[in-house]
Amino acid sequence: MSIILDQLTKRYQGLPVVNDVSLSVAEGEFFVLLGPSGSGKSTLLRAIAGLTGIDHGRISLHGRDVTHVPARRREVGFVFQNYALFGHMTVADNIEFALRVRRVRGAARRERRQELLRMVALEGMDDRLPSQLSGGQQQRVAVARALAHRPKVLLLDEPFGALDARIREELRTTIRKVQQELGITTILVTHDQEEAFALADRIGVMNQGRLLDSGRPDELYARPASRFVATFLGAANLLLARRTADGIDFGHVLVERRRTPRDPEVVTVVRPQDIELAPSRERLTSRFVGQGTVESVVYTGAFERLRVRPLEGSSLARISTGGNGGAGSLLEVVRTENEQSSFPLALDQAVVVGVRRAHVLPTPLTSFTLYVADAGAADALRAHPLLEDLVNRMKTRLTAMTDAEADAAAAAGGVVARGVAVIAAGADAPARIARLLDRGATEVLVLPAFRQVPQRVLIHWTDEAARRATLAVAASVLRHVPAEALCINILPAGTPEKQRDQSMFSLLDARSEGQAVHRLDVRTELRFGETATELARELAAPGSQMLILGVSDPGEVERRFGGLLGAALAHPAIVACPPSKIVPRTGHGA
Amino acid sequence: MAPDRARREPRTSAPRARQPSLLPGFGLTVGFTAFFLSAVVLLPLGALVLKALGMHWHAFWAVLLDPRAVASYRLTFGASLCAATINAFFGFIVAWSLVRYEFPGRRLIDALIDLPFALPTAVSGIALTAVLAENGWIGGWLAHYGIKVAYTPLGVVVALTLIGMPFMVRTVQPALGEVERDLEDAAETLGASRFQILRRIILPSVLPAVLTGFTLAFARAIGEYGSVIFISGNLPMHTEITPLLIVVKLEQFEYASAAALGFAMLVISFVMLFAINAVQAWGRRRFVAARR
Repeated sequence: MSIILDQLTKRYQGLPVVNDVSLSVAEGEFFVLLGPSGSGKSTLLRAIAGLTGIDHGRISLHGRDVTHVPARRREVGFVFQNYALFGHMTVADNIEFALRVRRVRGAARRERRQELLRMVALEGMDDRLPSQLSGGQQQRVAVARALAHRPKVLLLDEPFGALDARIREELRTTIRKVQQELGITTILVTHDQEEAFALADRIGVMNQGRLLDSGRPDELYARPASRFVATFLGAANLLLARRTADGIDFGHVLVERRRTPRDPEVVTVVRPQDIELAPSRERLTSRFVGQGTVESVVYTGAFERLRVRPLEGSSLARISTGGNGGAGSLLEVVRTENEQSSFPLALDQAVVVGVRRAHVLPTPLTSFTLYVADAGAADALRAHPLLEDLVNRMKTRLTAMTDAEADAAAAAGGVVARGVAVIAAGADAPARIARLLDRGATEVLVLPAFRQVPQRVLIHWTDEAARRATLAVAASVLRHVPAEALCINILPAGTPEKQRDQSMFSLLDARSEGQAVHRLDVRTELRFGETATELARELAAPGSQMLILGVSDPGEVERRFGGLLGAALAHPAIVACPPSKIVPRTGHGA
Repeated sequence: MAPDRARREPRTSAPRARQPSLLPGFGLTVGFTAFFLSAVVLLPLGALVLKALGMHWHAFWAVLLDPRAVASYRLTFGASLCAATINAFFGFIVAWSLVRYEFPGRRLIDALIDLPFALPTAVSGIALTAVLAENGWIGGWLAHYGIKVAYTPLGVVVALTLIGMPFMVRTVQPALGEVERDLEDAAETLGASRFQILRRIILPSVLPAVLTGFTLAFARAIGEYGSVIFISGNLPMHTEITPLLIVVKLEQFEYASAAALGFAMLVISFVMLFAINAVQAWGRRRFVAARR
């Protein structure tokens, strides 16, 4: 491995800008870090170069631990977005700079310079000043300069950001060519997914300081693991559906079959080209999903881009809301020329919608449902900043159900719990959590009146059966909240030595599982004492926190955590309970 | 091909007599500038030259080459050069720390820099004398080591340094602020040490500003009078500066001699400032246009 990052964290004013990032880049690989602005990707790159210090973690380049090595001795080449050429030096002096400070002899310097200028196709420009070159030429000089001292790693920070589209493409080709010619391990930072696809051997997607996923471009596109990756890498429709024994149920297909509350809700990714539009259900070749009207049509030559508004009452209303300025509740559709000619479409035309292919995301937090006494309480909960952040960033649905409605639905044997149940904190919270878990909810979010977005997330599960579910919930939350994560395992005081080791192993297992399954890095700690007391102590630490508590028996909530989750709860908490262990008491289950 | 086109372009637009300018009022502002410059700078200077040249040739030279006058030139220009050089060095450091570091009291120090601008120079002279005289705090301590500051040329340099400091700091500060951190980062990733970055990247970038600050501090020091007369002791041949000599001549009603000395200062100052400006212009050209 050429570049290895291990649990890198960089905080800025207490908030993590790079949050527990672990990554390895192979020798000669072209790795592209992709993310929106402010996602921490540039900070991460600067940390690798040694231009920014880190608060936690290790960096190793070619088997050498460089965590505490200053930038000038890391042997990396760095290319800046604004070129950062030395304005008072000629092109030749700029390129030779690294050799000059290494006291390389004049003839050798000249030779290397000529070689580099040839490589970036700028022969004969030696005596120009940077101000006499075009933007594209300046960036070529910057690349040549960064390679002069034969670094083992090339780091490029949005190198094409300041260039126009044509030059950008040209320079992209040059950089790819140079990279392959030298076989140099390269990390490029960009916010442009097209650029990432064009250049990368592997892409890493960053958001809010976390590296959400990494993999080959085609893999990430076809099988994204999270909502963010799905929507950031190309256009995507996020549709809520149910996973049933017969497959993915978008609502209408298996309408005759009695659905049960146990069919878990899932988030599916449907690419615009995987949606089929037809005049009637009979003409549809793929699965019928619902009806809608054409809201806008943009013809782009080879393709036609459409937005389809789902009909009120159709199951397509379950498309995730939020996102791009309200357009999120519209279906994005792309049709090829063939499809256009076989079924021409005009504005406001009614269509039926089919889905050819849907990818199911593994995330357990699909949508949110508020369970409240009345509508007023719902509005108060809705405005909680944590819930707002989660709903907006997950681009998902938020609905409300009053207690009376929920009771009626439960009595009728219908669906009660959809997605994450959300309740207000209070003395009755533990009892309500237990009831919701009984009725089929797998996660309950408890929001206290204290309104702050957490900086730290505490993760704890009462027994190993709940581990997988708890980690999945934690990973999903942490993808959308820029907080640090801490997994704690609590043993009774006076636990024998042998059992302590076991607990430690289980924590380490959890860490590996988090990394392998969710690409989530967490820190782990072992505590001794009574579980609820220890958790309360951790939550009392300064700063805003959040608790993610995994249980395998809903009864435990009241029995063991009644005090913790009751009126005294000052921080948001999610109680997760894996569905397999739930013994239905209400008698209308599967 | 490209330079050709550039040269042709202004020619085609030249025949148009009144080209609408982006900024209106060109004639008005230039006229005002010429008037203002004449009334405030050129007229008084012209009067000075006329007055000096009204003297007899021999008398004129006699006044200029009088040993006491020559000694005063040496002290004035020598001490001013020394002070400006000291300021170039320490002013750069002060500007550097103000621009680059965030520390408690930074804003206070930043405000204090301007104090010599606002303080009547006589006040700073009295203050310096009080501190540096042999019975003062620092003067007493230095006297232990046999160093005398007050009433020596060294005292003159100290006073002129104090007066010139803000000019240096205020010109270098913005220039330092403009040096992009990316340039330093780039140099660092290329293997340069802190010293190499300072010498090869930062100093060349701020050199024009340092030269400007040097010029300003130097020019200010030559004209300085108030702060020096207290600390120098005004010993003829030893610690007497030319402006003081001129005042002495005026007090003796030797107006022509005073004008002659003033004329001499004018010429020397002009030559030196011209030289510094030439260096600056050369530096700028090197910065902007292609070398070789």
